[in-house]
Amino acid sequence: MTRKILVVEDDAATAAYLAKGLAEAGYSVETCGNGRDGLFLASEGVFDLIVADRMLPGIDGLAMLSAIRAAGITAPALVLSALGTVDDRIDGLRAGADDYLCKPFSFGELSARVEALMRRTDRSTTSGKPTRINVGDLEIDLLGRQVSRQGRPIALGAREYSILEYLARHAGQVVTRTMMLEKIWNYHFDPGSNVVDVHVGRLRRKLEEGFDSPILHTVRGAGYRLAPAA
Amino acid sequence: MRLSFTARLAVLAITLALISSLASVFLIWNGIHNDAIAALRRDTVEQAQDFVSVYRSGGFPALREAINAARDPDDDTLILAVLDARGRRVMGVGPVTAAVQPLAGTPFSIAVPGHSAQWTGREAGFAIHRVGRYWLMTGRLLDDWEQEQRTIEHVVGLSILLAIVTGIATGLVVTRYVGRRLNRITDVVEAVSGGDFADRVETVAGGRDAFDRLAIRLNAMLDRIEQLVGELRAVTDSLAHDLRSPLARLRARAEQASLAEDAGAREAALSGLLVETDMMMRMLTTLLEIGRSAAMGRDRFVMAEPGAILEELTELYDPVVEEARMALTLDIAPDLPAMAVHRELLSQALANLIDNALRHAGSGGTLALSVSRGDGGVRFAVADRGPGIDPADREEAIRRFGRLDRARSQPGAGLGLSLVDAVARLHGGHLELADNAPGLRATIVIPA
Repeated sequence: MTRKILVVEDDAATAAYLAKGLAEAGYSVETCGNGRDGLFLASEGVFDLIVADRMLPGIDGLAMLSAIRAAGITAPALVLSALGTVDDRIDGLRAGADDYLCKPFSFGELSARVEALMRRTDRSTTSGKPTRINVGDLEIDLLGRQVSRQGRPIALGAREYSILEYLARHAGQVVTRTMMLEKIWNYHFDPGSNVVDVHVGRLRRKLEEGFDSPILHTVRGAGYRLAPAA
Repeated sequence: MRLSFTARLAVLAITLALISSLASVFLIWNGIHNDAIAALRRDTVEQAQDFVSVYRSGGFPALREAINAARDPDDDTLILAVLDARGRRVMGVGPVTAAVQPLAGTPFSIAVPGHSAQWTGREAGFAIHRVGRYWLMTGRLLDDWEQEQRTIEHVVGLSILLAIVTGIATGLVVTRYVGRRLNRITDVVEAVSGGDFADRVETVAGGRDAFDRLAIRLNAMLDRIEQLVGELRAVTDSLAHDLRSPLARLRARAEQASLAEDAGAREAALSGLLVETDMMMRMLTTLLEIGRSAAMGRDRFVMAEPGAILEELTELYDPVVEEARMALTLDIAPDLPAMAVHRELLSQALANLIDNALRHAGSGGTLALSVSRGDGGVRFAVADRGPGIDPADREEAIRRFGRLDRARSQPGAGLGLSLVDAVARLHGGHLELADNAPGLRATIVIPA
């Protein structure tokens, strides 16, 4: 079944760029240029995800979002904004957005976040909390916080474990550096240096050293993906 | 209806002049009035006594003679009459019938003496004394006094005219003066909004009057505006200047990509382009953050333990520091209470300091993080063993886009320490740069 995404964006060029990119990624996309139309379309309830610009003519993006929520539509929402300071991001998240992305953004970052939001909806609809995750030959025991690969246990530090758990929950998807900073460390600023890369590098060494196939892949220009070697 | 300022001022001046001149005229009038009445009373009393004593010594024949002798055909204000009990004139000059009823002795009173002929409606000052069966009425109409009153009326008219003239003159002079001084101020304001920030209002009375106080305040405000505009200009100049180099690099990368023959070279150039773009975006976000933090309220502050903030950051940076072959030490003073901070911004500021240390202190050495209570409040310190910053250069290092010469070859926009300083100020504190002998010790001091 094709996923449907509603893009509410008043800048025609950005809207076209989003529509094209998301369509290529296999989604069915509908776009509109202002908050009023966005609210109207969204209230049909047929969309799996809403991507909305924060500053829209008519109704402001965040106001539109709260109106949509008030109408009982629970589709996850990703807010795009040219306001990029820490406080703007936090405000956006508090206002009911499920994720927040600053303009200009790389398409890789956007699609990673879109995929993560889609996946989250799927998980919440499938019943029960998983107690273990398997990614190829990697097995993660979520209750005992134990990790093993090909039956061999791998000792991880607390932070390494939380990075792996986050990657495993998004197994097969691209996870960007900023997503990890936000979700694992709860920092909404850009630390500048390659801190995330170093953490992931260490985790990768532990996961892959002594095994013949890679499992934690670097996706150039975007981030990382935990998946069995193709 | 709205009157012009000049007209309103003139009306006010006229009113004031009228009040003052009318008040003085009234006082004069009153004074003269009283004097005239007093003279009349004196004369009347004296005359009445004279005639009463004539009657006592010689009876009616002597009184008649005296009255006839005192009559003067040219004097039409004199009252000198003998009245019967019902007030009718028996002889002499005076009203045919006295208006005073019933007749009674009075040494002096002012009233209308009669209703006939010339007496009607004219007040007179008179005395009435009993002479045998009859009454003697002596006095004088108030004609003299009326003459004076008329003169005074003229004076009043004249003074009203004078008041109007002086009022208009005052209005004109005052508005001219006020207008001239206000115009000077307006001219300066106009010149400033026209772009001439150097113009100032000169003071006239040495700062003592209201206009001078206004001028002094205005000048102070203009000084501040000039300073702010200067700062703004400096910031935009340096922004334009500092955006030039990353833009030039961007352009070079784009050119490389478009000219690249083989796919590999194009790929490399394009990813370089992305890196440069990201760096510029980061720079703009930081600039925005600095600007924001200067005007931010404290409503986004949360209670946090200073030690916990540093621990979280250490956890994030530890592997990076290790990779740079440096040792990271963390020293958290015990018993530091939780304090209200902007967790994200403070963490970002500390991250900037750690990042700086990683970049400038090179490999080897120790990176010491500490938080303690001390001089000025809670002190978050990041100390490295790198080359440090010369005391003379420290101010330049904190300035927006300030980059020390030896850092120019490295990527960066010169905003790191500027943001740290802005964040420290947001918390009511400051950034201290000190010598770590050797190395740099950067301390964010936040009042506890």
